[in-house]
Amino acid sequence: MSIDGQSATGPQDSSALAAPGATRTLRRAVIVGGNRIPFARSGGAYTKSSNQDMLTAALDGLIARFGLQDERIGEVAAGAVLKHSRDFNLTREAVLGSALSAETPAYDLQQACATGLETVLGLANKIKLGQIDSAIAGGVDSASDAPIAVSEGLREVLLDLNRAKSLPQRLQVLSRLRPKDLAPDAPGTGEPRTGLSMGEHQALTTAQWNISRAAQDEISYNSHRNLAAAYDAGFFDDLLTPYRGLTRDSNLRVDTTLEKLATLKPVFGKSLGAEATMTAGNSTPLTDGASTVLLASEAWADAHDLPKLATVVDGEAAAVDFVHGKDGLLMAPAFAVPRLLARNGLTLADFDFFEIHEAFAATVLSTLAVWEDEEFGRSRLGLDGAFGTIDRARLNVNGSSLAAGHPFAATGGRIAATLAKMLHAKGTENGRPARGLISICAAGGQGVVAILEAL
Amino acid sequence: MNTVHPVILGEMPSLSKLYLNAAAQAARRRVLGTDNGSSLPDASHEVRGVTADVAKLTAYQHLIGETASDVLPAGYIHALTFPLAMSVMNRDDFPLPLLGMIHLSNHVEQRSPVLFTEPLDVTARVENLRGHRTGTQLDVVAEVRGAGAPDIRWIGVSTYLAKGMFLPGIDKPSAHNGQTRHEEFKAPDPTGLWQLGVDTGRAYAAVSGDFNPIHLSVLSAKALGMRRSIAHGMYLASRALADVGPARGESFGWDVEFDAPVFLPGRVALDISTAQGLHGAWQGSDFVAWNPRSGRRHFRGSVTEL
Repeated sequence: MSIDGQSATGPQDSSALAAPGATRTLRRAVIVGGNRIPFARSGGAYTKSSNQDMLTAALDGLIARFGLQDERIGEVAAGAVLKHSRDFNLTREAVLGSALSAETPAYDLQQACATGLETVLGLANKIKLGQIDSAIAGGVDSASDAPIAVSEGLREVLLDLNRAKSLPQRLQVLSRLRPKDLAPDAPGTGEPRTGLSMGEHQALTTAQWNISRAAQDEISYNSHRNLAAAYDAGFFDDLLTPYRGLTRDSNLRVDTTLEKLATLKPVFGKSLGAEATMTAGNSTPLTDGASTVLLASEAWADAHDLPKLATVVDGEAAAVDFVHGKDGLLMAPAFAVPRLLARNGLTLADFDFFEIHEAFAATVLSTLAVWEDEEFGRSRLGLDGAFGTIDRARLNVNGSSLAAGHPFAATGGRIAATLAKMLHAKGTENGRPARGLISICAAGGQGVVAILEAL
Repeated sequence: MNTVHPVILGEMPSLSKLYLNAAAQAARRRVLGTDNGSSLPDASHEVRGVTADVAKLTAYQHLIGETASDVLPAGYIHALTFPLAMSVMNRDDFPLPLLGMIHLSNHVEQRSPVLFTEPLDVTARVENLRGHRTGTQLDVVAEVRGAGAPDIRWIGVSTYLAKGMFLPGIDKPSAHNGQTRHEEFKAPDPTGLWQLGVDTGRAYAAVSGDFNPIHLSVLSAKALGMRRSIAHGMYLASRALADVGPARGESFGWDVEFDAPVFLPGRVALDISTAQGLHGAWQGSDFVAWNPRSGRRHFRGSVTEL
């Protein structure tokens, strides 16, 4: 084999090697670090940038930060929720457009807003199994450069036209075209089975659990205040590279106040019996952005002289039957977390940081409300009583999606890298590694949650 | 060599005005038959504090096949400096007609990456007037520095031919100096195939600002004596550079020699061969492009480590 050939030896960590077919010992998967571009409100600085542009920009920043030029990474996985059909190989194309070795394999993944966290968990599992030594997880979304499809009518005509063999056949196919067929089909945020937007779904849950306007505005206020403080403290200096002139998330309002938030008019839940409480201030805006996370085995990180911030301990996915209202659309994490903690012998009191994705302020509050509810704990979670309460001082301490914005598939990577850095800084707590919980809700009534521990 | 007199312009000249002026000048010279001498103007034109327009940059990157990063593609910097280079060739004391000049070759050194956010000082001058077996050729040199900074970040040397123009005192090169040598071109197996639509020239004109009529439409090209419109040479060279990809790193040399023009619409076959050193590190890429039907070579060049 020539000197520039691909090494045929397997993973470097010998503990992962065993006889064919034998069960291997699991090893740890660590988060080395992350990189994202600042998130931009839709229609802003990244309006003309494609998903591939943004993912490549985030990737190139990660490559530069950790010296990965020409490196053959075990696997790269990322995805986008709003995706053009031409982007079928989005992640591989971004890899080819990056400074990584062109011999780095990649795949796309899509699980709505849980996409980013699921790439972290899937790749971490491959590392734990010894299938790969290094990986980059990520996600990207553009609400500005969203795909627009042709109408079903036009699409059928075009396909049939392609199959038509003679001129009369073609004319016959074309004669089926009607003016309404020329209207384009833009993607929406509506759930396919209910026709309700995500905001309207959350409004149902918000009303069901009596989440107050003041409590929602407080979550939003804290998000902005915490994110601004984190920027001021330089927390994001090694988590972010500027892009298209942005150095901070453009949705961040450093000067927001509870009074200002209180003046905003409700936008969701206006036709419900209960008071409408969800505003543009306590809901995430449509956002553009990309994030990446570098994962590795401990041996790989050591061999490359790279930091080890945190281990990916475990993850869990859940889904709820939201279609006819048994549970709220965004409530799946409320079920995933109790299962995940039970499997790991942990309670909410065993965590130092909680990263609960702020799709809406009310999503966070509804999740906390059901965990504190005795009846919900007994009848829905099968527990003796309420699942538990979290210390609010440990919740989204460096801000979350309400302030940063939420480019759907990019949120998981943002949170994983942020939490890993916070855990590493905290080190040990009460004689054990600092521990963090990530909870992300997703369209389709899904949710993915994970546990990270400090290294 | 003469001392170069710097002329500082307040802003980047408008290419459309330059083309109009060049057309008027050509008509004037035809009527008056003025003699413009046999020497190049010794002035260099300079514009300070030039910045790239991010919307145009993104459109350029997407058209050429570069990822829309914050680093200016080397070909984009060429487009940025082009109006200034044209303004030197548009001077009254420039001895050759600007319209109809043929871009023979282009040499670029991207010495360090330039971000779109950086204000730049751009200079352009002409030099090296010399004979060609079919006319007279010269070099247009453009340099880009960070605003107020001494180091050259990007330098481009574009060689143009005024076909059929012979100036007194400028000799044709003798046959043995290599310019008349016709080597046989044998097309290799292609690594890529470009389908160029009839609007390729208009699309590149929109992102580069170079609205030379020979690139825009069949009619406008015919008005200037072409049988159809042709692709911009720098569009083709920039796509080849993009195709070499990020392996080239952030500083590199980029050379291209143009042969037969690419008529639009058309197909272009391309071969890129890359030399790799130890551990697969990139050392350089050669590229050549040809017409897949006739086998005529359109252009060839290389991207090399600096």
